[in-house]
Amino acid sequence: MSDAILTLRGLKKSFGDIEIIRGVDLDLLGGERHALIGPNGAGKSTIFHLISGNIAPTAGEIMFAGKQIGGAQPQAINHLGISRSFQITNIFPRLTTFENLRLAVMRAHGLQYNFWRLVDNNRRVREQTERLLEMVRLQARADSIAGEMSYSEQRSLEIAMTLASDPRVILLDEPMAGMSRDETEYTSNLIREVTKGRALMIVEHDMDVVFSLSERVSVLVYGQVIATGTPEEIRRNASVKEAYLGEEVAA
Amino acid sequence: MKPVHILLLGIVLALLALPSFLTPGLVNAAIQMLIAALFASAYYLLCGQAGMLSFGHAAYFGMGAFATIHAMNAIGGTGLLPTPLMPLAGAIGGGAFGFFAGYFSTKRTGTYFAMITLAIAELVHALAPHLKALFGGEAGVSATRMPAWGFTFGSTNEVYYLTLAWVALCLTLLYLYTRTPLGRLTLGLRENTHRLRFLGYNTHGLAICVFVVSAMFSGVAGGLLVVSNEAANYVLFDAHLSASVVLNTYIGGVRVFLGPILGASLMTFFGYAVSDLTQSWLLYQGALFVLVMMYMPNGLAGLFGQIGQWRSRFGLAALIPFVLLALGAGLLVGGGGAFAIEMLQRFLSQDYQALASANAAGTWPPIRLFKHDWSPAAPGTWLVPATLLTAGAGLAVLARQWLRRLVQREESNRAAAEASVPGDAA
Repeated sequence: MSDAILTLRGLKKSFGDIEIIRGVDLDLLGGERHALIGPNGAGKSTIFHLISGNIAPTAGEIMFAGKQIGGAQPQAINHLGISRSFQITNIFPRLTTFENLRLAVMRAHGLQYNFWRLVDNNRRVREQTERLLEMVRLQARADSIAGEMSYSEQRSLEIAMTLASDPRVILLDEPMAGMSRDETEYTSNLIREVTKGRALMIVEHDMDVVFSLSERVSVLVYGQVIATGTPEEIRRNASVKEAYLGEEVAA
Repeated sequence: MKPVHILLLGIVLALLALPSFLTPGLVNAAIQMLIAALFASAYYLLCGQAGMLSFGHAAYFGMGAFATIHAMNAIGGTGLLPTPLMPLAGAIGGGAFGFFAGYFSTKRTGTYFAMITLAIAELVHALAPHLKALFGGEAGVSATRMPAWGFTFGSTNEVYYLTLAWVALCLTLLYLYTRTPLGRLTLGLRENTHRLRFLGYNTHGLAICVFVVSAMFSGVAGGLLVVSNEAANYVLFDAHLSASVVLNTYIGGVRVFLGPILGASLMTFFGYAVSDLTQSWLLYQGALFVLVMMYMPNGLAGLFGQIGQWRSRFGLAALIPFVLLALGAGLLVGGGGAFAIEMLQRFLSQDYQALASANAAGTWPPIRLFKHDWSPAAPGTWLVPATLLTAGAGLAVLARQWLRRLVQREESNRAAAEASVPGDAA
């Protein structure tokens, strides 16, 4: 493990009078798998939106590899090496699975404004797309219309699209929501595999996944991080138990 | 060779042979059809593939046209380019104005985008007559085609072949465009712009690119019109042209590349053929558009696709009665509708009303239609369209029933097949 690659300092976000994120300090270390947990409405997805440029922070800073990225455009943040998935499936519904993934792969090959070459002839893009399809076990669905696949298949596609640009930091927002036990286990192993050498921040409600996958866990409650530590430390932390895990056990 | 390729080859050969069979008037109509097809295809790139509904595409068509006419008049009338290359000036004119307009309009999406394009087109239309030096005022600008490359370009046929070559080239380029990375991203723009941004794409830049390409090919279409007409007038910026490219594209079908081409050439041909026969052509165009949107939202191309799908499901023999019934229904309803519209149009026309009120006897004089005299007061007159429409509706019901029976038969066949499988195993 190395120094922090992504640092949040005093991060705040208000919508009108309502302060959703109330001063978050968080470090994502290079190469670590870091889970962000917390009750519903704690602001986990909002943190992802802030980091990925979907919304701009009200105050505070987001430093990525020594650069301030708070409020930058999503595509600029993606170019720096942060890639994210979405809690609500966010794909190209009327295109095929292969096409969905190819659009994601093409970006890193600098083909945005290319109109003089046929994309089918680009072997590197095709092979990488096929490799990603295989990785998330969707090769049989390559020609299916993405919007017509099952929910869990769309979740897998979403993960593959997030990985396509070879990012240094991956943000996964509830990647396993709606998956069966078997799919969850497979995806959990897949995430461990593909995030080697990269930093991962994951929001997930499945506590088994969180505790087995992540090296560190941060607990977010009402827009503030109340604890950060190894899964063991978080399990033992009294305030976490009270604020979050306790509720779950009691429920 | 795939059937599609054979079909395309056939069409190209037919188009090449066409002028030897047609009168100059019809060759001229064919030129208009080709130009409309290219314009619709360029428009389809923006509206069908990128999902950006522009209501002001006449602006880019018109800019291409004026750029071409000024290029033709340049250097004392000798022209900036040899005549066959003139549409290039249209591409530059349309594309340059498209970049300017596209930069602003693509900052918004959906309804706001549509409104900005509409506003820009109206702005140009309102401004053009006042900029005499550029657009020639009310009278417009005219030019002469210069001989080049051994052709005089004096005859309609030579203009036809020039137009055909340009349209074929541009349609090929537009098709190839859909297979390029930018072409694939165009679809992504339609499907989910938000996601594209998080994949690292500059969606505003992409949208501008698509807009410019579409405007550029619209400009070529405008340039071809000018090369053919040797004149351009601010009427080219009229909202009517913007509207008809939308209608043509949707009537042809916005899901398939060939759809808008089909729609535009058919509607232009009908416009040419029918405008001499009726004063209500725009009414027919509108009615046709409403019907297509209501009953086959994927347009004519979607209809062919649907029939092809049914053929493979039910077999050709079972489908023929349905097609005949549906065709009969279409003809009867079309005939009845046309009769009613033409009759009403004549009955309600100012001339006829003046004639009737001048008639001292207080009776309605007969109306001449389809080589017969019809009395508007006689019930028999109105019974004709009523009968035709009722019979058409009856056939439509029969056609629908036939289709339902085919679906039922397919289901019972499938059930029988499923029932027989366990029997075989046992």
